[in-house]
Amino acid sequence: MAQYNIEKQLNILDYALSSLWRRRMKSLSVLLVFAAVIFLLASFQMVTQALSDKAKQVLAYTPEITLQKMSAGRQETFPLTYKDQLDGIFGIRRVVPRIWGYYFDEVRLANYTVMGMDTAEMPEGDRLDSALASGKMPSHEESGRVVIGHSIKKGLDLGGRSTFSLFRPDLSLKPFEISGEFSQNTDILTNDLMVMTLDDARDLFAIPAGQVTDLCVYVANPKEIDTIARKISDALPAVRVLTRPQIQKTYQVVFGWRSGFGSICLLAALAAFVILAWDKASGLSPEERREIAILKVLGWETSDLLAVRFWESVIVSGLACILGMTAAYIHVVYFSASLFRPVLMGWSVLRPELHLLPSMAAGDILLILAFTVIPYLAATVIPAWRSATVPADSALGG
Amino acid sequence: MLIELSEVSKIYNQGHPNEVRALTDIDLRVEQGSMVCLKGPSGSGKSTLLAIIGCIFPPTSGRAAIAEKQMTRLPDRFLTLHRRETIGFIFQRFNILPELTVLDNITLPLLPLGVSPKERKLRAHALLERFGITHRAQFPAGQISGGELQRVAIARALINNQPILLADEPTAHLDTVLSREFMVIMQQLKEAGKTIVIASHDPLVFEHPAIDRIVTIKDGRIHVP
Amino acid sequence: MFLNPWSLALTLCSFVVLILGAVAGKTAVRVLRFWEPGSDSNRQIRLENEIWLSSTLVAYGLGFQIITLILFVLAADQFCQVIVGAMCATGALLANPYGMPALLVKLFGVFFYGFWILLHQLDIRSEQYPLVRIKYLALLLLLPLLVLDVTLQTLYIAGIKPDIITSCCAVVFGDSTGGGSNLLSGYSQQELLLAFIISIIALVILGRGLLQRWQPWLAGLYAAGWLWFFPLSLVVITTVISSYVYAMPYHKCPFCILKPEYHYFGFALFGTLIPATFFGASAALAGLVRGKGGLAGVVDRYQKLAVRLSLVLLVIFSGLSFYHYLKYLIIGGEG
Repeated sequence: MAQYNIEKQLNILDYALSSLWRRRMKSLSVLLVFAAVIFLLASFQMVTQALSDKAKQVLAYTPEITLQKMSAGRQETFPLTYKDQLDGIFGIRRVVPRIWGYYFDEVRLANYTVMGMDTAEMPEGDRLDSALASGKMPSHEESGRVVIGHSIKKGLDLGGRSTFSLFRPDLSLKPFEISGEFSQNTDILTNDLMVMTLDDARDLFAIPAGQVTDLCVYVANPKEIDTIARKISDALPAVRVLTRPQIQKTYQVVFGWRSGFGSICLLAALAAFVILAWDKASGLSPEERREIAILKVLGWETSDLLAVRFWESVIVSGLACILGMTAAYIHVVYFSASLFRPVLMGWSVLRPELHLLPSMAAGDILLILAFTVIPYLAATVIPAWRSATVPADSALGG
Repeated sequence: MLIELSEVSKIYNQGHPNEVRALTDIDLRVEQGSMVCLKGPSGSGKSTLLAIIGCIFPPTSGRAAIAEKQMTRLPDRFLTLHRRETIGFIFQRFNILPELTVLDNITLPLLPLGVSPKERKLRAHALLERFGITHRAQFPAGQISGGELQRVAIARALINNQPILLADEPTAHLDTVLSREFMVIMQQLKEAGKTIVIASHDPLVFEHPAIDRIVTIKDGRIHVP
Repeated sequence: MFLNPWSLALTLCSFVVLILGAVAGKTAVRVLRFWEPGSDSNRQIRLENEIWLSSTLVAYGLGFQIITLILFVLAADQFCQVIVGAMCATGALLANPYGMPALLVKLFGVFFYGFWILLHQLDIRSEQYPLVRIKYLALLLLLPLLVLDVTLQTLYIAGIKPDIITSCCAVVFGDSTGGGSNLLSGYSQQELLLAFIISIIALVILGRGLLQRWQPWLAGLYAAGWLWFFPLSLVVITTVISSYVYAMPYHKCPFCILKPEYHYFGFALFGTLIPATFFGASAALAGLVRGKGGLAGVVDRYQKLAVRLSLVLLVIFSGLSFYHYLKYLIIGGEG
């Protein structure tokens, strides 16, 4: 019984293949349009997936809790003495002061992210050296030395030199010497980043001594983040407390929203395709009608013909998926999703030289299938039934 | 008795303005191993009669037993299941799918029966050899001659070893030579024990000596001269 | 939270299933009103054709339902990334009161579709189509089920607010005392495992007895056994088996085993349990229509097959269930 059914389905599958081949122009046109729709959806899904993965990587480097002072809704510097008020809170592993700012280079019309920090004070600060392509992080005695990101190096156009200067607010020049360079793997975080000592950063931005922009709080047990954040907030009411999970979830919402929005736009393409599929499936030529009627007279049941149509749809969607997803992967990985660049660039997260590497789990593939194959199968089922119920007697007489 | 019809009537579109009474009170009995010709002008109802004998649709009223099975009030699915075991069809113009190969055309009835490709090939080659067209097996059916096409159509009707063979105006589009050849094959099949019903108004068919009986249909009734 | 690819995919699939269900429902109404067995009228011929439409639609519905069921769990697993406090699908599903009911309704839907297809397959084996009325009355029940499914799912998705704090499975299913709500507390692991093993043995004995000598009451008992075994297995998977799969005593979650980190182990587990339950319960169910015209032989054959299938699947399921547990006992925690 099972043997019979399997053999029968194989026979029908075989017939479906030959039937698709006989109508190859029609099948191919549906296949290509379908593959294009899958390609768009899959590319989009892969880009947002890869971006959100990148964001996760980036956030892994950020401290568990960041403190900032807000005044009139804007961030301002605050004295290091705030740090003392955190002393009594149990569970804090370390507090590291930081200056975070942006420097606008008027000569090159570029914006640099400046971070002044004593990296040696960070827990696992030594590990940061391994993120560098060359050199090492400036220790706090090494005044005037910086580590820069990839695009800054390109922008400065240093040639063989390892020194450059930036303007202080009073337009006097401050010289720097490059002590290291970030590796390209961390581009999303370090592309435009410049790391220097705290004192250098104060000097560059003319921030009074003893003042910082952020305090980074490292926590021993990640499960206590929320509790400690609450305690800090109680101790320093004027301070904004940002926790890493919060930032992470915000990112996720933004990425989810973004890809959802993109999906909605792509649904229009999908809808157009479904209409096409319906149309192609329901237009029965006289030859096709004759073929079905002959098969019925020869002993094919309605359900056998429905199975032929089902296998045809499965073959077309399967091929379209393989084609579309492979193309999408190539598009995202080797061409950095260049088709979507105009859209995503405006959303500012994607940097020009970002290398995206989407990791597609089975679930993501299922998601794309749900978006494409299910509507396609649904759109072809009623036309398939119509064609399968062509009466047998139309093959007679004439 | 392989075919047994009594008081069979067929009305198309019953209860609608376009109602057509195609057959009225047909009584027909065909024994196993005999060859019967249904004669009559086109539109006389002989195609409808052939379709009822061929289990393509059930009669509206009356009793129709084909190979000992009652066809009246049988759902479409069971007509099909019965048809593929008992009836071999030879169509007018043969209704061969021109883009499939000869082999694929002949084995079409075996696909939904779950017959394996190997077994299909075996059975088809036996028939191809019998009709002397083995060399055409892999040709697209659209590219072979009329005589070969006719033999392909007969082979397809025999592939599942059905006891009854029905032919609908088989010689309507054939020249005299091919028509004669067709009847020769039919005679051989009859001698091999097949029951054959041919609907035709071609004298080459109904005057053939192998025909046991001629049933004339006129206006949906059996005409007794 | 609709602007998320997972929510959109779920909504799209539900929409598609709803349309297919509506078409099938229309067929059901027509069949129930106009079916005249043995008539040669054009309407009856059309209705006979429409039987194939509705059965195909339901078969597609079953396929789509299974996909949406998986998608729903995976979606919940994605949602947990945006819900503060939720660390896996359990937390996300408990984020509002509609998550778990939606999941259960979807699961029930899979069985419903399955039983309908069984009815259909039995029906078309008899020349009288004796189950037409029952079949299409049942099909009419499908529509409210679909509407309920879609409503719960929509309410669930709408209710996901990215900033609610929910419990994660470590709290929900864990033994640890504290603020978390313990969904499955009060069961001792040993007792559960014992009940699980006894149930498996009882089912095997019952099934073998049935295969040797078929008795309707025994078949009923066997089906009842499966109806008991299915929820029991879900509990056991959640509280005992899953933590051995994760090799983490406090991670008790029936959903994370579906993830690639655990080699999609959950799919094998649920993929044997659900069909096994279906076949086990359906053997007795098919017996209910045995008396209908011309079905006795077909039903008998199906029942034997179903019991045999359910037993084979049960053995595989038990093997899978105890694999990690035994591995832990033999090799130890690091294995």
